[in-house]
Amino acid sequence: MTDFVFATAQYESGDWDSAPMVPANIIDTIARYTSIDVAPTGVIVGLSSPAMFRYPLLYLTGHLPVRFTEAERTNLRAFAERGGLLFVDDHNHDIDGTFHKTATEELARVYGPLRPIPNTHPLYRTFFTFEDGPPTTSHELNGWGDNLVHKTLSGVERSGRLALVYSSKDYSSEWNYHPDNKRFLSVDNTKFAVNLVVYALTR
Amino acid sequence: MPSRADIRRGAEWALRLALVAMLALSLWRATHEGAPGPVTRTTRASDLTPALAAATRTDRIGALEVEMDAFPAPAQRAWLVALRRAGVEVRWRGAVPVMAVAAERVREPRAAVRMLLTSGAGAAYVLSDSAGALDSLMVPAAGATLEAADVVGPVRARQGAYLSSVVAPEATPRREVLVLGRASWESRFVSSALSEAGWRVRARIPTAPGVAVTDPAMLPLDTARYDVVVALDSTAADLGSAIVRFIATGGGLVAVGSATTMGALRSLVPARAGTRRPGRILLDTDSMSRSDLPLRPLEGLSLDALVLERRPGAVAVAVRRAGLGRVLAVGYDESWRWRMLGGVGGPADHRRWWSHAVGLVAPERDVQPSMVGSGDAAPVAVLVGALGPASLARSPALEVGQRTLPLALLILIVAALLAETASRRFRGAR
Repeated sequence: MTDFVFATAQYESGDWDSAPMVPANIIDTIARYTSIDVAPTGVIVGLSSPAMFRYPLLYLTGHLPVRFTEAERTNLRAFAERGGLLFVDDHNHDIDGTFHKTATEELARVYGPLRPIPNTHPLYRTFFTFEDGPPTTSHELNGWGDNLVHKTLSGVERSGRLALVYSSKDYSSEWNYHPDNKRFLSVDNTKFAVNLVVYALTR
Repeated sequence: MPSRADIRRGAEWALRLALVAMLALSLWRATHEGAPGPVTRTTRASDLTPALAAATRTDRIGALEVEMDAFPAPAQRAWLVALRRAGVEVRWRGAVPVMAVAAERVREPRAAVRMLLTSGAGAAYVLSDSAGALDSLMVPAAGATLEAADVVGPVRARQGAYLSSVVAPEATPRREVLVLGRASWESRFVSSALSEAGWRVRARIPTAPGVAVTDPAMLPLDTARYDVVVALDSTAADLGSAIVRFIATGGGLVAVGSATTMGALRSLVPARAGTRRPGRILLDTDSMSRSDLPLRPLEGLSLDALVLERRPGAVAVAVRRAGLGRVLAVGYDESWRWRMLGGVGGPADHRRWWSHAVGLVAPERDVQPSMVGSGDAAPVAVLVGALGPASLARSPALEVGQRTLPLALLILIVAALLAETASRRFRGAR
């Protein structure tokens, strides 16, 4: 059987590659904590390409305005209907920023209205336990971006499973460091990524 | 030596005596209408009831011959059997179509009704239930199978005037399915497909040494809780002996890929998965079918294995009975690609296939035999069982019935009267 491959979504507008070190850190984390067979390198897959259906968990981020093409919207709708999970993170950590405003608008067109994910959701307990919901990021605590600590993530469910997870917490900045530097962290800040991957693979 | 005139007079007297005798016989028959006699009555199955009533009310009918232009109703058939036991010879004839219909509940949560129809090749049938027509079809030589979401009352298969009917068993709720597999897209999407198809799914998915995403109260593994275990890979090894007991007591097992090679299950599985064959490379299309999937061809088939699906040069799916249960071996261990890359219909096809695979090995403890309560599922067989085989076609001239004897007698009387009168006239007497 094939390994899990971490896939970053490439879209035609905006800066989809704003956090290039995230895949390597998450792959390292998955290999470190779990027995999931994970491919050593991630892939970049275009949202307008049918190849995106090969990767049922997609990571999407950026700073700039997001405008999906019609092909990207069509593919994302099919992706959700077939059981794929899209994780979107606002790299600006700013709910007044252009990424948040445009991305949430585009996502609502594709998925329907986004709703807060309750902090008791299995997403926060499926591997590591996060009693208070999504872990905070240093960017939140340092008052950057919108100067808010976002208590919840947002999302959309299909058939009782999350099809979209949207974060304003800027995990892209939090996880975007060279993997070699992870050893200097007293607490591994990528553990929540394990929950995302395990949730996608098991629920 | 008597003259010719004496002989003629003698013949006339003989004719007169014969006339008197025949008139006496007719008078006797007329006054003895209820007397027993070997009378055969011929009737059609489509108009059988009056003949049955007549044969029951009078013992003059010694034999009843039925032209089968339709199958008699169960009550009429029972009436014929009763007449036969009462001493009436019952025969039937006619070129009746050999037909049989069966109905069973698909062993899946939706519990659709599967109808199986067998008949002569090319025969046209109309299938219906109490709510109306279900379908019409030409039956091929191998028979036909149809599925309906549900049926109301008995299922009827009609070919012209000939009707076969059967009562489908009641639907009963299915028990749970246990999915065992590692954290992978296959585990995730097989569980999803089964849940979406209506199965109640529990899963155990190891994610790290000693850590697993497990539904609560997964064990014990027994047929009181589970219908089927789906082992997607070798992570089920620690439950091997429990699975063996589960199958022995009537449970079902779907063993996929490396699960077919586990030592504990070796005696159960119909075959073992071999070396992987890559699927078709479809970089820029969204139209993958099951035949495009990677496959671990099944090898070393047991003697009692039944192959259900083949791919060119390979066996993809096989099944066998083991103990009181059944085991399905599947060579596709990346079926999730079919769901994700199978176009608009991919998820539904994937869901249907998996639900069907699990249903194949689910216990049939709650499925009643479809023949119970319906004697018309195979009407020709029932007819032969009740009345014996069809009699050979008989010439009507050989039959002697209540109408033919008086007519012959009348003809003889008229002929004798004419001969006697003509003889007297020709010799000049009055």
